[in-house]
This record gives sequence, C-alpha cells and structure tokens, in this order.
Amino acid sequence: MKTILKNGLRAGITFGIVFIFLLLIGFINVGSTMIGDILGTNVQDQVPVNNLLITLAILGLFTGITAKSGCGECKWWMALLGGLTAGLVSGILAWLAIWITGTLSVGGAELQTYLPNLDPEDMAFLRFYSTPSAAANTYLIYLSLSSLAGAGLAWLLSFKNWFSRGWDTAKTKVSSWFEDKNVSDVIHNPWATAVILAIVGVALYFLPLTWGSYWNYIMGTVAIYILLGLGLNIIVGYSGQLVLGYVAFFATGAYTFALLTAPTPHGIGLNLWLAVGASVVVSTLTGLLLGLPILNLRGDYLAIVTLGFGEIIRILIKSDLLTDITNGPKGVTNVGQPNWFGEVFNDVNYMHLLMLLVLIGLFIAKRLKDSGTGRAWIAIREDQTVAQATGINTYGSKILALLLGAAFAGLAGALFASRNQFTGPEDFTLMVSINVLCIVIVGGMGSLPGVVIGAFVLKGLPELLRELEDYRLLVFGALLVVMMIVRPEGLWPAASTHFKQPSKKQPSEAAVEVKQ
Amino acid sequence: MKFKRFLVLLFVFILALSACAPQPVADPPSDEADSLAQETEAATEEAATEEAADDEAGLPAACEEDEFGCAVIPEGETIKVGMGAPMLGDYSMFGIDISQAVALALQEDDGFEGWSYELVAEDTGGTPEGGAAVANKFVTDPTMVAIAGHIFSGSTDAAIPIYDKAGFPMMSPSATNPDLTQKGSAVFNRLAFTDAAQGEAAANLLFNDFGFTEIAVMHDGGTYGQGLADVVAATFEDLGGEVVAYEAVTPGEADYVAPLSAVDAAEPEAVYFGGYAAEAIVMMNQWSQAGLDDVLFFGCDGTFGVEFTDKTGANGEGAVAASLVPPDSEEKTAFDALYAENFPTEAGELSAFTWSSFDTGNVLIAAIESVAFVENGTLYVPRGALVDAVRNSDFFGLTGSVKCDEIGECNASGPAWYQVVDGAWTPLALASD
Amino acid sequence: MINKLKNLKLTPGLILRILVGLGVLVFLGWRIYQTAFGEGTYGPDTWMRFLIAGLVIGGMYALIAIGYTLVYGILFMINFAHGEVMMLGTFAGYFALEAFAAIPAPAAAGPDLNFLNAYPVIALILTFLAGAGTSALVGLLLERIAYRPLRGAPRLIPLISAIGASIFLQNAAQLLFGPQRRQYMNPDILWRGMGWMIPVGGKEVMLTYTGAFSFVLSILLMVALFILVKRTKLGKSMRAVAENKQAAALMGIDVDSVISKTFIISGILAGAAGVMWGIHNGLFNHYVGFIPGIKAFTAAVLGGIGNIPGAMMGGMLLGLLESMGPALLGLDFQLKDVIAFTILILVLIFRPSGLLGEALTEEKV
Repeated sequence: MKTILKNGLRAGITFGIVFIFLLLIGFINVGSTMIGDILGTNVQDQVPVNNLLITLAILGLFTGITAKSGCGECKWWMALLGGLTAGLVSGILAWLAIWITGTLSVGGAELQTYLPNLDPEDMAFLRFYSTPSAAANTYLIYLSLSSLAGAGLAWLLSFKNWFSRGWDTAKTKVSSWFEDKNVSDVIHNPWATAVILAIVGVALYFLPLTWGSYWNYIMGTVAIYILLGLGLNIIVGYSGQLVLGYVAFFATGAYTFALLTAPTPHGIGLNLWLAVGASVVVSTLTGLLLGLPILNLRGDYLAIVTLGFGEIIRILIKSDLLTDITNGPKGVTNVGQPNWFGEVFNDVNYMHLLMLLVLIGLFIAKRLKDSGTGRAWIAIREDQTVAQATGINTYGSKILALLLGAAFAGLAGALFASRNQFTGPEDFTLMVSINVLCIVIVGGMGSLPGVVIGAFVLKGLPELLRELEDYRLLVFGALLVVMMIVRPEGLWPAASTHFKQPSKKQPSEAAVEVKQ
Repeated sequence: MKFKRFLVLLFVFILALSACAPQPVADPPSDEADSLAQETEAATEEAATEEAADDEAGLPAACEEDEFGCAVIPEGETIKVGMGAPMLGDYSMFGIDISQAVALALQEDDGFEGWSYELVAEDTGGTPEGGAAVANKFVTDPTMVAIAGHIFSGSTDAAIPIYDKAGFPMMSPSATNPDLTQKGSAVFNRLAFTDAAQGEAAANLLFNDFGFTEIAVMHDGGTYGQGLADVVAATFEDLGGEVVAYEAVTPGEADYVAPLSAVDAAEPEAVYFGGYAAEAIVMMNQWSQAGLDDVLFFGCDGTFGVEFTDKTGANGEGAVAASLVPPDSEEKTAFDALYAENFPTEAGELSAFTWSSFDTGNVLIAAIESVAFVENGTLYVPRGALVDAVRNSDFFGLTGSVKCDEIGECNASGPAWYQVVDGAWTPLALASD
Repeated sequence: MINKLKNLKLTPGLILRILVGLGVLVFLGWRIYQTAFGEGTYGPDTWMRFLIAGLVIGGMYALIAIGYTLVYGILFMINFAHGEVMMLGTFAGYFALEAFAAIPAPAAAGPDLNFLNAYPVIALILTFLAGAGTSALVGLLLERIAYRPLRGAPRLIPLISAIGASIFLQNAAQLLFGPQRRQYMNPDILWRGMGWMIPVGGKEVMLTYTGAFSFVLSILLMVALFILVKRTKLGKSMRAVAENKQAAALMGIDVDSVISKTFIISGILAGAAGVMWGIHNGLFNHYVGFIPGIKAFTAAVLGGIGNIPGAMMGGMLLGLLESMGPALLGLDFQLKDVIAFTILILVLIFRPSGLLGEALTEEKV
C-alpha cells in the first residue's frame, strides 16, 4: 500500500516534470501537430484541439504504465490506485504549469522573450482557446483519467521488462535457429554458402539501384562510417586504447586524396587509385608520428592527447599558416572522381565501391581479430601488465593497432572526399571522433556486426529522426544515455569480451576491470 | 529502476512518433497505398523514374520538351520551396531567421491558381556534408520546385552540382563566396553581393574616403571572413596603403582581448574585420580593454544587424559595416511589422539577411508563376524553364533591384555602408560628401 | 638517478621523445630570445594586457577544471557533460539578474532604481547562489540519472553516457531558451568594459572591474575548496573514497552520498564559473559550455588529473598559454589552441601524469 503510493508519487512527479519540459520546449504543440498529420485531421495547418487531448492521453497512459510497473505482481485495485496517484500528481503539476503560463500569457506578459516556445498563439492552443483555469482543470482530469487507464491496461497485460526481454528472445530465437541441425547443415554446406553469398551479392548489387540518390547518399555515409568504425574498433575495441582524435586520420586521408587529385590549389592530378594508396600511407604515417611518443600514456591521458591532436590538425588545415597548401577554410573542391569504363562514378557506383570496401574491411578486421596479433591486443586490453609478462610486445602491438586503425581512416577519408567532390576543415570536427567512438561502443566494443549496427544507428537514425527536426539531437543525446544504461555491452556484443552487465560490484573489482 | 523504464518508454514513444511522421513528399491522389511507408516509397520511386509515372498521367507537351521535365503538383498539395540551412547548433540563428523570412514571403502570397506555397527548411548544420545530404533529399521530391538557399557558402558549394543535375533553380540570400558563381552553374543565383565586390568597395572606402594609410585586417578563420579579409588587404595595398597587422581569431570565443592587444601594438588607424556579428560584438565590447579606443572598427555585412547595436551599446559607437539592409521605406516598415507579428524576434535581430531572404522568396514566386501552368487539375512547373526564369528575374524588392547577370549575380546595387550613431545603424555620412 | 639512466633502453619512442624535446627547447629559446632582444613587436603594455586576459580566463578554466578533477579522482570517469553543467549555471545567473533588474527598489533606496542597482552586492550574491545552485542540482541529477546506474561498468560506458548527456543538455537549453545569444545585465557598478587604468610603460592598461572581480572570486573559491578538502570531515571522506572505495565503505563512509556531494561541489564551482563567464564576457548562448569544458578538461590533465592544485595550476597555465603563446611564438592567434594542445602533448610526453602528477598511484587506477 505504502510502496504503491510512493511509486505513484514518484512516477507522477517524474512525468509532471517531463510534461513541463515538453511544454517548454514546444513539444506538446509539435506532438499534437504530428498526431494531426498522422490522423489527417489537420485542416489548413489548423490543428484541432482533440489532438492535444490525444497527446495528453498518450502521456497519461505512460504515467500509468510506469506507476504500475513499480508494484510488480500486485492486485488490480493497487495498480489502479498507483495509476490514479501518479495521474493526479502529474496532473497537479501540469495544472500549475498551464495555469501559471496561461494566466501570464493572457495578462500580456511576453513569455517568449525568455522561453521562445511560449508565444501567445501556441499558448492559446494549449489553453484550448479558453480560460487558463478551465484549461488547467481539463489537463488535470485528462492526465488522471488516462493514467488510471494506463495502469489498468498495464495490469491487464502485466508486461514486465518487455523491452530487453523481447530483444533477448529475438536474439535467442535467431541463434537457436542457426544452431538447429538442419539449418547448420545447410549453412556449412559449401554449396549453400556459395548460394547464400551469391544471393547476398546480387542483393547488394541491386539495392543501390533502387534506392535513389538520397538514400544512396545516406547509405554511403553509413558505409564510410562503418569503415571508420572498423578502424577505431581495432584501436579501442581490440587493443583498448581510448582515442578521441580519430578524426585526425580521417582528415589527413581526405586531404591527401583531395590535394593530390583536385585541379586547385596544386593541380597534381595523380592517378586516383594511387591517390587512394597515398591517403592510406599518409594517414598511417600520421598515426606513427602520433603513436610513437604517446602510446605509453594511460587511458584518459591518451584520450585528451589524441583529442588535442584532432583539433590541431583541423585548426592547422584551416589556418592562414597553411592556406597555400590546404586552401584554408574554403576547402578543396572538384576532388577527383574515379572512372568506370569511361563514365564518371555516379551515386550507384560509389555505393557499390563502398559496399565492396566495407566487405573487404570486415574480412580484414575479422582475420586480424582471430590472428595472434588480435589475441595479443585483447590480452593488452584485458590486462596490460599480465600481457607484458607473457612476453607480448605491448608497445609494438599498440602502435600496430593505431597504424591499422589510421589506415582504415585514411581509406574512408579518401572515399569521403571523392564522393562529396569536396572536403573542408569543418567536416572534421571533434563531433566526428565522438560519433565514431559512439559507433564502436553502441555496437559493442570489439564486435564487427556491432560496428555495422552502430553505424546504422548513429548515422542512419539521425536521418530518420529528421522528421523530428529540432528535436533530433535532443533525442539522440537521450538515446545514448538510455542505451548505456539499458545495454552497456552494446547492441551486438562481441562473443569473447569479458564485459559484464554493470552490477553492484565492489569498487576495487571495478577498478581492476577498468585497468587497461 | 522505474526511471530506467520510463526512459525506455519515452524513447520508444518518441521513436514511434518519428517513425510514423509522414515525409514531406507527394502522394498522388490515385495512390491507394495503405501504409505511410509504402507511400513514401512510391513517391521516391516516382521521382526516380519520372517518365514511368508521367506516362500514365499523360504529360503536357511543355514538360516533354523541357530538359529536366516538370515538377508535378497534384491538387491539395503545396508548391514546395526547399532550403538547406543551419537550423540547429552554433549558427542556427541564421537558418532560423532566413527560413522565417522566406516562409513569410511564401505564406503572404495568395498562391497560384489555388495552390499555396510551402517552405521546407532542412538542417545542414552549415556543413558541406549536410548541404549535400539535404540537396540529395530535395531532388527526389516531385513537388519541390526551387531552392531558397543554401545559406552558408560551403554547404551551397556542395549542393550546387546536385541541383545542377536535377535542374532545381537556386537563389541564395546569403552565400557570398565569390567562387560560387564562377563555376558555370546554370541553376545557382544569389541575392547577396559577393565578398569580392564588398571587399574592394571597403578597401576603397577606407583608403580614399576615410583617408587611412595604415590599417589592420582581422578575420574569423572562416571561408567568408578570410575571403573578405584577403580581398581587403590586397586591394588596400594595391591602392598604396599598408596593412600593419593581419590576425585571425578562433570563432565562437568570448574573449578576444589578447589578439586585439596584439593588433593594437601595431598602431593601426582602423581595423577591418571579416566575420560575423558573434565575434564582432565580443571584439567591440573589449575594444577599450585592448587599448583600441580611438581606432575605427570597420566590419562587413556579417557584422551588421540590430544585434550588434543592442549588445555593444555605447562600446559599438562609430563602428562601420556593410549591408544589404534597405534604407527605411514604407515597404520595409510594413515588412518589419509583419515579421515581428509572426515571430518572437524582430526583423534583423537574428541575422542581417532577413530582408534579402524575404526578397528571395518573392523572386522565386514571381519566377514560378511565370512558367507554371495547370492542366487537368494538376499543376506543372517545367524545371528547365524555371531555371531560366529565375536567371532572367527582373524584380524590385525591399533591397532594391534584383536583376541577374549571366553568371547569377543578382544584386546590382552593391553594398550600402552604415555607421553606428547614437546606438543605431545610420547610413554612413562621409566628410567628403 | 644515475641508476635510472643506466637502465634506460633506447627505444624508438624514447629517441623520438629526446629529439622532439631538444627541437622544442631550441625553438623556444630562439623565439624567446627574439621576442626579448629582437625588434620588440610588443611593448610592456601589450604584455600586461596579455597577462590580465590570461589570468582572468585561467581562473575560470581552473574552477571548471576542478570539477573534472574531483569527479575523476573519485570515479575515474571523464564527466564530459561538465561544460553543460556550467552552461546551465550561466543561464540561471542570467535569469536571476534579469529578475532583479525588473524588480523596482523601495523608494528609500533612491529614485528610479531597480533592485539590481539599489542593492548590487545582495543581488550579485543571490545571482551566484542561483547559478551555483542550478549547476549543483544539474550535476546531482546527472550523476543520479546518467552515471549511477553505470557504476562498475567498463570505463568507456560512462564516458559515452556523459557524451549523450552533454548533447542532450545542450539541445534542451537551445529548445528551452532559443538559439539567440543573450547578454548579461550587470549592475552599473560592475559594468563590463569599465576598469582601473594602470600605467605601464608609458601607456595605460585597463584592468576591468569584472576581470578583477572574477579573478579574486575564483581564487577565493579555490581556497575555500582547498580548506574543504583538507580540513573538513567531508573532505576527508572524499579523499578516503578516492583512495579506496571498499575500504572507505568498511570505515562507515556512505560512498554514494560522498559521490553525490562531489558532484554537488563540482557543480557549485562550475556554476560560479558560469556566472563569472556571463558577467565578464557578457554574451552567451546554449553553446557557451562546450569549449570551456574541453579547455578545462585539458587544464585538468595538464596539471595531473585527480590532483586539485594541479587543476588550479593547469587552468591558470592554459589561460596564460592562450593569451601569450601566439605572441611569444610569433604565430597567429588563430593557432592558440594548437599551441595549447601541443604544450599539453609535450608535457605528457615528458611527464606522463601531468605537471604536478596524479594524486593517485598507478596501482589504484
């Protein structure tokens, strides 16, 4: 009894605050408009107030479900009581918010000076075009009732942990399907493998033809980020070196390629395939230059040094000092594009090339992981001191990982510059490094399918979230936090990693684990 | 624990919403696709294989003849004008302001034969990469007819080849890099005067009208600022003056006392700054801390704007800047009132491009209406003809005459110079006048 | 020492380090010689201006850097969202000042005065309380929501969570308060751009009131923090938790509560730095925390992360490097971050755990 009230209270306060936050960032309005768009009830950009009620009902349902989920296996009246408490508490908070902002807005206060989403027109909509107190009462009633309904619904369905359970079930099903004798016979039959590979190959060949230029562009970006992710995965995922300036190698690759092939500023016009090779070599050398002096630094020092190195490269590229060499902030235009039987590469050709390279990259990364070097990296990642004691040349192995990672970035950079026909310093900000790191972590450190999934989630998802326009990055940030809490081992963890679910471990144990 | 679950729920909820949100593409009236996803697919395919879809409808002859075909807008759809702009992040005020002004122009128009106009502004983050992504998205939309933008030169540069291939006319109110019109693109036009024209005019003004012989040149390290600064420095030295200090600063910072002091040590008579108001305001506020009290601050059109005077107050007194902003006129007053009524900010508060953006919208409308036609209840806009129509625009707007030359420079009048007097931008009065 | 030298193996890395070190020393010596005895581009007045600018910004960096260092010392995690904590403090201070400016003062204080100018000291204290309080609250919530569930996870996991929180907070602030830059409403006695004129080398150099105020306040806060950590019971338990969480828990210290308090303290310092930032620099928007955050992180590492005096020194040093470095080396001011990061790399190559070293030993991390 007491717990359910407490849970209700907590859910109510949380959702009340969420409601106020959504109100202040204008999402209640946008959400109502979006519901109108989905239902097709918007007439001439006029959103009917019913949509607002639907928005409120959705919010209320979630309040109720949350309140109920706190009590686990409880009686129906307890669930309802929790839902009602939560609904009332969040309703009261909403009542206060609407009443205060509504009264101020009606009174002519210029709220939008400080809170730009509260302009009078939107406020009138949020008030159902009536008086503040009447509107506030509607909010209270609607939130309470829908929360009650939500709790009831949750009790009926009594779903629990459905999110992670659903995921795990799906994964178990898929893997058990693979382990099934008949299936595994087919899989291990060389002919079947050939057929499957052929089907995949044909599918990969034909998919870009149907995508159209926009999706080819997005998928191309995803593919480039997969290459980047594979490279950083070698550094961070395999050998455990936290590098925050990976963009430096990407930038050197892109600029090497661009400067060697573009007509301005140097007009070298090198053969494109040689230029790709040169990009990879220059990036690798940059990695060597950076790696030799600093790779014996410990985790976080390495992070900030590499972060600084990334910034140094970007600032130098755009600085007046090197304008004559790099073309400064203007960037390099008309970067060379490869030919295919006399025709300049179009988006489909690029997509094919990128897919081919991603497959080769995946193959190389897989072979590296299974090689002796790969095991040495993983030993270093797990415990450097022990690795050293077993006779592994830790310094050399770490340098090698950095060089290979840098080579991948150089390749990705060359393709990036060539495909965009342009490269400029602002393409290589700190956010690129952070994005690639997130790809590796979100996918699952050291896991190759993880990198692919991570790239789709991090570069593809924001494109899908474009529909949410202004809220895109907000959701993305929240998503990263939620991801880390719900699935810290990544979406597709590597099979052999030693990562565990975070648990109430002893601090010293945690400290041992984080030791590189 | 509960919070965790709540976050999950919130996330799923938002995802669900985002997945369901319809995409800004046309669905033909005959299309009976039962899910939104299918609709979008159908629309995309339609764009990719335009002929296939058009054959059924029976294309008007003008579309068959047109090099790029037609934009096909069924009844109930809007005529879409696209914009790639930084809508989020550090420079979002430019995107927000420019998109608001263009949207206002489109919204104020009564439409064409029952079709109304709509602005689709997408975020480019101001980057070339983002510009190309947005352009690639726009060209797949059959109801998208023209592009107001892009907003930053880098993002525009990356987008031009994509629109070139698809035959989408562009009119940028703010991309000022001189190179953009030098590439022989048929689709790109701009209302902004080029950095080269502005830089030369500024150097002339400094040397001839102000009579300075020693100036310092600073810029913010961006394409725009550096381009301007280089032109000013070169022209000023050609004229016979001396550039005693040339300094670049890191954009986005809040403290420029150190670089300003370094400039002060060279004792210039004036400091030319190429860059945006964000940095110029900080510099002006630290002008006397750096010992530059009696040195003239000479800015560019990026530093012009109400924000500059608002946020520099007495410190900004005497600063000079260039602008597209028209001198006060009845139309301008009416527009300013309209803008303030529709948006939380004043015209010109977020950027100096408000008025040219409004003109951009109107120029595009005029061009669209000169070539569009209705047949069988569907609106057709021949793309190739529209490209020519925009290039041949002859329009008189808030910022004066809009007439494009053969490479797409549409601002015939050049920059107007303004100076801060008593906390307000007033047309520059020179002693020699 | 000699034994140490005998045991040195000449690895390629070491050779490179020695070469780099020699190169840097020669170059620096040459530049300093040139600046001091050469043509003398900059007079003493200009150097004085550089010094003032460097110290003021260095003080703010130091305050933010302490936040990084405190959290790192206890949790071994980089609180990437710390800059955003500062940003929200800046916003809170702004709203407080706007509110005080809108409240009319009682008639007794003088005609036509608002509260801000009638009682500037009280208003400023309240503003700082608002800024520090907001940041402390944000820091506390951040720890509860984004970091606590991840305690004990591999160290990259909380880092990604922190990056996510940083992106979230930045965009939330943009959506809540709009993208435009806002300007701090200072009381008249502390108006920006006013200051004492100090004669240096025949010229007058301005020491702004806001600059002096920020610098003094940041020093006071640092002293207060130092006393807190060294003298109070809370400080003792913080040090104990940093040393060994398990042992601290056995000694009856509530580890969770100490961690929460650490976030509150670092939030207070960041909030105060945020308000100072607003008062001294005036302009800000939702992006204000990002660059100072990165810089302060650099400063913390420069001094030796986890080491409080190290963070103070690192902050000041970074501020001075940024204002004087380009002039000293005869480079563009555009390159100041390049110089700062290069110095950081050089310092770490030769002193792998920062200038003052870590407060922790290698074994504990």
